[in-house]
Amino acid sequence: MTTRLRLQELLGPILIVIAFSYVVGLQSAQGLLIVQSTLALFVMVLALHVFVGNSGVLSFGHGAFAMFGAFASGIVTTPSNIKENSLQLQNLYPFLVNLNLGMYPSLLLAIAAGALVAGLSGLLLMRLNGLAAGIATFALLGVAYNIFFYNNRIGPGSQALLALPPFQFLEEPVVLTVIVMLAVYLFGISRAGRTLRATREDPLAAPALGISITRVRWIAFTLSGAIAGLGGAMFAHVAGTVQVQDYYLPYTFMTLSMLIIGGSASLWGATVGTLLVTGIGQILLMMEQQKPILGIVVHIPNGTRAIVIALSLVVMLLWRSEGVTQGREFKIGMPKLRK
Amino acid sequence: MIQAILDAVSLGGVYALAALGLGLVFGVMRLVNFAHAELITVASYTLVMTHQFPLVVSIVLSVVAASLMALLMELLAYRRLRGSNPATMLIVSFGVSVLLQKVYELVFGALPRSASVATGLTGAFTVGGVSITIASVVTIVLAVVILLAMGYLIERTKLGLQLRAAASDFQTARLLGVRSNRLIASAFVISGALAAVVAFVNVVGNPQVDPRFGLDITILALVGIVVGGMNSLRGSALGGFIVGAVLSLLNVILGNGRVYAYSWMFVIVIVILLVRPGGILSKFATKERV
Repeated sequence: MTTRLRLQELLGPILIVIAFSYVVGLQSAQGLLIVQSTLALFVMVLALHVFVGNSGVLSFGHGAFAMFGAFASGIVTTPSNIKENSLQLQNLYPFLVNLNLGMYPSLLLAIAAGALVAGLSGLLLMRLNGLAAGIATFALLGVAYNIFFYNNRIGPGSQALLALPPFQFLEEPVVLTVIVMLAVYLFGISRAGRTLRATREDPLAAPALGISITRVRWIAFTLSGAIAGLGGAMFAHVAGTVQVQDYYLPYTFMTLSMLIIGGSASLWGATVGTLLVTGIGQILLMMEQQKPILGIVVHIPNGTRAIVIALSLVVMLLWRSEGVTQGREFKIGMPKLRK
Repeated sequence: MIQAILDAVSLGGVYALAALGLGLVFGVMRLVNFAHAELITVASYTLVMTHQFPLVVSIVLSVVAASLMALLMELLAYRRLRGSNPATMLIVSFGVSVLLQKVYELVFGALPRSASVATGLTGAFTVGGVSITIASVVTIVLAVVILLAMGYLIERTKLGLQLRAAASDFQTARLLGVRSNRLIASAFVISGALAAVVAFVNVVGNPQVDPRFGLDITILALVGIVVGGMNSLRGSALGGFIVGAVLSLLNVILGNGRVYAYSWMFVIVIVILLVRPGGILSKFATKERV
């Protein structure tokens, strides 16, 4: 991550994401679905990058913001007649039953919900430091999961919210993702972003220069909460359904792994990590289903896919612990991998 | 009422053991070993799969299995990560955790395996008109014995001295002649053995072992070591105890609202951390100096 706007650092990842979306998305209906869900996860990875990458503090709490975003957007876009008639929603607050918004207003609502929850909880959580702060954010995820799982006044509880309007075109998630990438990059080169990275590099010198660590972390936390809210809602509208379990531990680990594997400190790292992990997963899925890859059929037994994914994540981090990009930004003529 | 307190103390004791296992490893290499859950799980599977053997044999086997697994994790994965960023190590341990869960799923199946282990411990007895479950008493005794033994090991033996030295300053400890490989390996082995004790207590209470058996307790123990203070072993154990005891009490106090016990407990955790950001046992004035 650098301090000044360098167009290639911004445009490189954007163009690669767009290229990936069209090349894979226009192949087949399945390809379209892969692209849409990858983009929804990518937005979540970007949210994590804004906070984790710039502040150096790990957060497990972002699943909570995604949950709030997804449920906020989901509950207002589910048609009223479904809300009235489905069994799992019979205890819903009446005003939620009658509230109906279109997809895009609901995404704005998701962003607001994520930002609000992050902003409020951040007031407390951002006063903590180091690894303790990271694990305290786990408490946030735990609380959110616990509430959504049992409270059927605000959602379907442990059941699924069904019949959400899905994205109509490939362009919708692509445009949303590009906007988020732009915002993330601009935050990175902004004054707040740069001071936040200063606190990451040296938490003793930064306050000596008059930086309030709590304040800059709070700004990033709130912004990343907003983005996580959007990411959660996008994930819901790709699948057409929301269930609280979808945003709990596997989701949190998946998105965090994508970020750390790519290299948490850069936009390029978030991009590479997301595409790499998705790619490995898809290739293994094709092997499991005995589909040809570049004309070659490699068959792996059912159930080994998850093992190989986890194994490759571990091996990749053992091989390069700062992530594949080592936190560097995109640069043409780049890979000068070894010094 | 008495039963509620006994339950709280026994759950607290179990969580203290789990937290101590995590704290030992954290102390020597700044690794929050999320895959501690899978040590508990493998010990539990061992107990269930060997239930036809005499109890002592199956307990010994489960201790061996968990310690061996811990040692393998160290040798194959964590050894290469020494000194890297704690966030990276944590993510690697997630990876190891997921990996082992999937392996267990492949080996033992996704559905729970069950067998009655130590049937003598289920049931209750009556003292002065109050019914008390045997399991809670046994758990408390076991936890106290193990904690005392660990206390002796840590406070009175050379290994313990080295562990404490490493927990407070690993580099200096190495410079003073502590053998890091051996020390870290022993920390892992002990944490595996502790995981096996936790597994035993859990399996007696709930013999439905599935690949994610150890996950919940590990997450809570993780929260526990932060609450108690990650930089001291006593703090870790105390924090684990607090988390377990509070959770158990909340389940009684909240009545019908007990489904939200986790939320209240996490709120309490956040409040404790705001008052004592370094954990309960952290010293107030010790801020890192340049």
